[in-house]
Amino acid sequence: MFIQTLITGVAIGGIYALMAVGYSLVFSILNFSNFAHGVVIMLGSYVGYYTCTLLGVPVPVATLAAMAGAAVIAVLNEKLAYKPLRLRRAVPLYFMISAMGAAIFLENLVYVTVGAHFLTYPEFMQDSIAIGSSNIGLLDLVALAVSATAITALTLFLNKSKQGMAIRAAAKDMTMIGVLGVNINSLLTVVFAIAGLFAGLAGVFLGIKYLVYPTMGWITNKAYVAAVIGGIGSLPGAVIGGVLLGIVESMVSVYVSTAFRDVFSFTFLIVLLLLRPSGLFGKSLDEKV
Amino acid sequence: MKKAWLCWSVVICLLLGLITGCSSGDKAAGKQPIKIGHAVALTGDASVFGQSEHTGLKIAVEDINKKGGILGRKVELVAADTRADPAETVNAVRRLVDQEKVVAIIGVSQSGVAMAATPIITAAKVPTISTTASNPYVTETKDGKLHKYMFRVCFIDTYQGTVGAQFAYERLKARRAAIMYDVGSDYSQWLARYFEEAFIKIGGTIVAKEAYRTGELDFRAPLGKIKSAEPDLLFLPVNQKDAALAAKQARDLGITAILMGGDNWASPDILSLGGSALEGSYFINLTSFEEPAIKEWCQTHQGKFGGPIVRNALLAYDAMLILANAIERAGTTDGEKIAAALEQTKDLPVLTTDKFTIDPKTHNPLNRPAYFNKIENNQFVFVETFAAK
Repeated sequence: MFIQTLITGVAIGGIYALMAVGYSLVFSILNFSNFAHGVVIMLGSYVGYYTCTLLGVPVPVATLAAMAGAAVIAVLNEKLAYKPLRLRRAVPLYFMISAMGAAIFLENLVYVTVGAHFLTYPEFMQDSIAIGSSNIGLLDLVALAVSATAITALTLFLNKSKQGMAIRAAAKDMTMIGVLGVNINSLLTVVFAIAGLFAGLAGVFLGIKYLVYPTMGWITNKAYVAAVIGGIGSLPGAVIGGVLLGIVESMVSVYVSTAFRDVFSFTFLIVLLLLRPSGLFGKSLDEKV
Repeated sequence: MKKAWLCWSVVICLLLGLITGCSSGDKAAGKQPIKIGHAVALTGDASVFGQSEHTGLKIAVEDINKKGGILGRKVELVAADTRADPAETVNAVRRLVDQEKVVAIIGVSQSGVAMAATPIITAAKVPTISTTASNPYVTETKDGKLHKYMFRVCFIDTYQGTVGAQFAYERLKARRAAIMYDVGSDYSQWLARYFEEAFIKIGGTIVAKEAYRTGELDFRAPLGKIKSAEPDLLFLPVNQKDAALAAKQARDLGITAILMGGDNWASPDILSLGGSALEGSYFINLTSFEEPAIKEWCQTHQGKFGGPIVRNALLAYDAMLILANAIERAGTTDGEKIAAALEQTKDLPVLTTDKFTIDPKTHNPLNRPAYFNKIENNQFVFVETFAAK
């Protein structure tokens, strides 16, 4: 049972990690928690669902469509809801409020247009592989592999490419790189597009594994917690935070009680923040100020 | 000159206004429609049930108005969205009672929602008929005191849990049962408890009982624990979304036990949500769509429903007929008298049964059978009616 719990924990954690990456990326540059990220995941999931069912394309192709769709939505979100604030040099708190507004607006837009019905992707990779007395879903394995590949690709992009270098520099000091001649607008377009791609991917996995519905974005609260545990703003932190949270949750569910699970995860969060205020891999707070 | 003309015209206007005002006032009092409130989940997780219920009730009101209304007055339906959330319900019911001044309320379809509405409707003396709230404490307090203004048309969880346990033991030959329920839902908690009690009483064993929090999507951790207890039946007294997800994940983990659910499974979208994972599962239902009268009703009205017809629509239709009958017998729209008349409802033919009787001691329906359904080839198949012993 321990092995099964561990497998389940890692599988859940993988999806948390995928979502947490998008949070951390935006936070590292704009210094605010993009609460609209969950809605972008939700919309990405809907894009994938409709590409799948209306156009009849296979799930992998629909995944690409979902990623592209979510990237466009994330960029639009930045241009419409954050750019005007940025030009007025608003403090991060206003960005966060704007993000919440965008989230509630888009969620309700889906309610009135698509409706509150639960939707499911066509059955895809339903099989599971038995390892001893434990089972792991084929989809979970694929999701883990794809997540790992995507996160590795992003790390390479950030470390090896010129754009990536600019993004890393922006995370240190955005004003300065603006002065040095980097086009901040196009840089942020790239950042939000990447966050969107990850959101689309996470959206499809969530949609296949669970369901597609307007409030599904709220599961990203957990991803946010994962990002904070790992140290918000840090990519490796987001991944490790996600997997760690997944494992802690599964262990608590099995060995303590499912009903108590969130009590433990949030206690874990609070204790960790008391001991390490910037999370496991976060930048130190002095640097931020 | 001009002033005098103005004066006279004002006086004449006032007089005219007085006369017409009086006469139209008198007439309007007699012909004002009877307002019936519908407190229902039009949005949110339970909207599949709520929307269908609202359409069903609208059809009932149309039918009654076609026959001349109640006490010669037309019926007007006022809807208020509960979102199946107790806090939202308080606002919705307050609006119906305080602003809309409804004569009676139908709906409050979830047990938690009905319980949240009870203090308001009791204080305002507005008789309320719940469609599907099945918790025993919806119509009475924990020390057995009756809520004078709360009634229902469905059977209660004690009965449902008991009948489910007996069916599982006798018909499905289950001996080792596991339960997974939603700790945030009154309905789920009670159903789990009554199933457990009845199953142990009849001679079975409960090998695992796991809870999860409302809104959960991943049940693999508790299901893993259930798997190691090796049950031959897994009882899931939860809503259709959770049941479908749990079924998928249970099959993923290699759990082969028969799955069984409560009446919340009766929403047709469970079939698309759960897919092949639900094949061969059973659930308890409050009505059966196989019965000729109901089948015919569904065929006639299918066009008015945007989606599938769920049992809430039938029960709301029943509730409206029962309410109309009680108001006719009371001869007034006074809440106290309607409640008294509702208590006396006996052998009334409604849509889902020929003889609907309310037990005046509990405000629950008397002798409603449970209908067992099975999911076969991704369809609901009626198995049998089964009454608890």
